[in-house]
Amino acid sequence: MNTTVNQPFADRKTTRDRPSGPVPSDSAESHAPAPPEIALPPSKFADIYNEHSRAIYYLALRFLGDPQKAEDATHDVFLKAFRKMDSFRGESSWRTWLYRITINHCRNLQQSWNDRHMFSNADDAVWDNAPAKTDSPFRVLETKELGQRIQKALDGLSDEYRLLLLLVADEQLSYEQVGALTEQTPDAVRGKLHRARKAFAVLFEKTA
Amino acid sequence: MKRQSKLTSRQSEQEQQFSHQEAQQHSGHEFATVEEMLRHDASHTHVPLSIAHRLKESIGQISPPRRSWWQRWFGS
Repeated sequence: MNTTVNQPFADRKTTRDRPSGPVPSDSAESHAPAPPEIALPPSKFADIYNEHSRAIYYLALRFLGDPQKAEDATHDVFLKAFRKMDSFRGESSWRTWLYRITINHCRNLQQSWNDRHMFSNADDAVWDNAPAKTDSPFRVLETKELGQRIQKALDGLSDEYRLLLLLVADEQLSYEQVGALTEQTPDAVRGKLHRARKAFAVLFEKTA
Repeated sequence: MKRQSKLTSRQSEQEQQFSHQEAQQHSGHEFATVEEMLRHDASHTHVPLSIAHRLKESIGQISPPRRSWWQRWFGS
């Protein structure tokens, strides 16, 4: 197992077609933060944690929208993974397996929170007629506040759209794997993804 | 005279550095797709070190599985 890789979304081969477009002058890879210090004793589990913790934390962070909840969720997900490691049969990748645990965990958290607050996300049909330029690139002047703007836009989406965008952004996952994780066909993923991108574009524009 | 020219060259170097940093801050980014922007955001997101520390503690508290009576009896 590769223990040096700690960037979840960088330099991975994918079965999906990569979108063409302008390459940002300041690429993410060149300014990626240094890998975190390893606090776990060397083991297979530590290797798994080092390789996948950022992807899992990022999904939890942007799905739940709360750093403290994301921290707790990441801890709980990896603890669950540690307990169930022996039952992992290798039918999927470690990343997919961990994502599945994370999605279930976050959905349970969301569900209990929504039950208490009678909260419901925006109806996805709202975005069908919304005017948005999905083909034009996103121009961001201040990258300092990019995370906050992304979070605001994601918060306005339904759980389904938010999850789809976050999973598809991971280049390690194919549409088939995203479909399996979200319990739908790859074609359904493609169709919904188009609407999710459009909805995100509308909401992101509003955060400027 | 020499010392003065050294100072001015250092000053201009610092000014250049500063203006370069400023330009970088204000030049912004362009992302072709939502996914590209999310990947950028993900790669700039730090995983809190406290998670690994908490995990280490939690794993340490998990007691090893109890040996069954026949394992204790036969010592396997």
